[in-house]
Amino acid sequence: MLRQLKTRWWKALAVVLLLYTFTAGMLIDVPARFVLHETIRNLFFHVPVWFTMILLLLVSLIYSTLYLRHGKLAYDIVAEQLAKVAVVFGVLGFLTGALWGNYTWGDTFSWLFADTKILGAFIGLLIYVAYFILRGSVPDEEKRARISSVYSIFAYILLIVFIFVIPRLTDSLHPGNGGNPAFSTYDLDNTMRLVFYPAVFAYFLTGCWIASQLIRLRILHYRKHNINI
Amino acid sequence: MKAFYKALFSIIAITLVSPVAALAQEASGQPEMATGMRSNGLIFVVVGVIVIILGGLFLFLIRIDRKLNKMEREIDNKS
Amino acid sequence: MNHSKVFVALLRKEVLSEWRNKYAISGILLYLLSIVMLIAFTFETTDDRTWMVMFWIAILFTSVNAVAKSFLQESEGRQYYMYTLAAPQLIILSKMVYNTLLMLLLSSIALLLYVVSLGYPVADSLSFLIAMLLGAMSFAATFSMISAIAGKASNSATLTAILSFPILLPVMRILIRISLRALPQESLQVNAQDMLYLLALNVFIVVLALILFPYLWRD
Repeated sequence: MLRQLKTRWWKALAVVLLLYTFTAGMLIDVPARFVLHETIRNLFFHVPVWFTMILLLLVSLIYSTLYLRHGKLAYDIVAEQLAKVAVVFGVLGFLTGALWGNYTWGDTFSWLFADTKILGAFIGLLIYVAYFILRGSVPDEEKRARISSVYSIFAYILLIVFIFVIPRLTDSLHPGNGGNPAFSTYDLDNTMRLVFYPAVFAYFLTGCWIASQLIRLRILHYRKHNINI
Repeated sequence: MKAFYKALFSIIAITLVSPVAALAQEASGQPEMATGMRSNGLIFVVVGVIVIILGGLFLFLIRIDRKLNKMEREIDNKS
Repeated sequence: MNHSKVFVALLRKEVLSEWRNKYAISGILLYLLSIVMLIAFTFETTDDRTWMVMFWIAILFTSVNAVAKSFLQESEGRQYYMYTLAAPQLIILSKMVYNTLLMLLLSSIALLLYVVSLGYPVADSLSFLIAMLLGAMSFAATFSMISAIAGKASNSATLTAILSFPILLPVMRILIRISLRALPQESLQVNAQDMLYLLALNVFIVVLALILFPYLWRD
């Protein structure tokens, strides 16, 4: 697994896809909508940030379960660093969403607390900030890895339940919730799909790339203290 | 090296803040027109979003870079 | 010994240790009284919405203090001893059931104090009571599991709050939504979907805790 961190092909793929996303995302024809206007292009930039956060956290969760099964410290390092990158993507999602919402949904930010999608995202960030605080307060490495893995699995699975079940029950300005039609029905026509899915993949690979740097850094830290991972 | 980071940081900060400045101009009582950030069908909102994402990721990369530098120094001192 | 016998014994042990530590439960009661009086004296009179939201916030903060101690008060030695006697799943389950009962008791006392000091504006009492029952279950289950996690770390009292509030935020949202609907008129039918959802969520939390708890005490 750790050997994969140094291979190049998927990083090259990330670069190519990211370049494609940023050029095609600005240049292709998009359907004209009221309120949104050109900002419908943010579908290629803001939305994949959230998808990436959820995906990175999912991979982090897989590594947490692997840690609980096999007890190898390397798995825990991967889980922690992926969560770190995911939190950065989450913060970026908030900032970009605030800018976009400010120009389309109104600049009073009253939509911020009424929307369940935003609530879910906010809870996700809170959970992982708490996760890092939990890690900070357990000095023993093996114990820290075990406890934080348990918390991460517990909280993340509940978060997924909230995100994918609650919004269907309540109001949201985001598409696909509370009576709003989903993207698939009108926004995401077929040309937009051609940019959207590569965009998600590009961001995800970029996130993995950054995480791989952090993981290698962490391993170096252990090696400095003569611990081989 | 430190000066380089400072310059880079201020460039990123200025690009991030400039949309806010445009927003402040808009607030004065005139009838709402498609000016500043709102011109050309809100395209500058998209630009702002891109700048935030790239700026954020680069700030993060700079942090990692500094950590790496520190680690290299420590390992050099040790050997 | 079969499982149900062990379970009853564990539950008995919880009640007994609470009974012998009477200062702990009286501390919680005093805490509850202080919160309700704080609300009563600062708002003086409340509109219905404020009444309801503040009630749930009072319950939330009381339960942090009441339930969070469940794993913190036990010494390491006693925990190890218990783990040799019973399966970990039974231990966490007994804590959850006991804490649900404790939370039911505390929410009834809270409601009593609240009604005495601020009146009772709820039209659909049945919906409201079901919400209180579901709330007690959610709070007890979540805080039991989280306090087991936080108990392994330092400064665990603060940790319990910050680890569990994000998980309980949506639960609170649904609870308050149910209760607010119950304020003006009979609304059991409208609320049924939310109630079922919350019940399913509680079952989900319990199942997750049963799977994950054994990993916590393996040292």
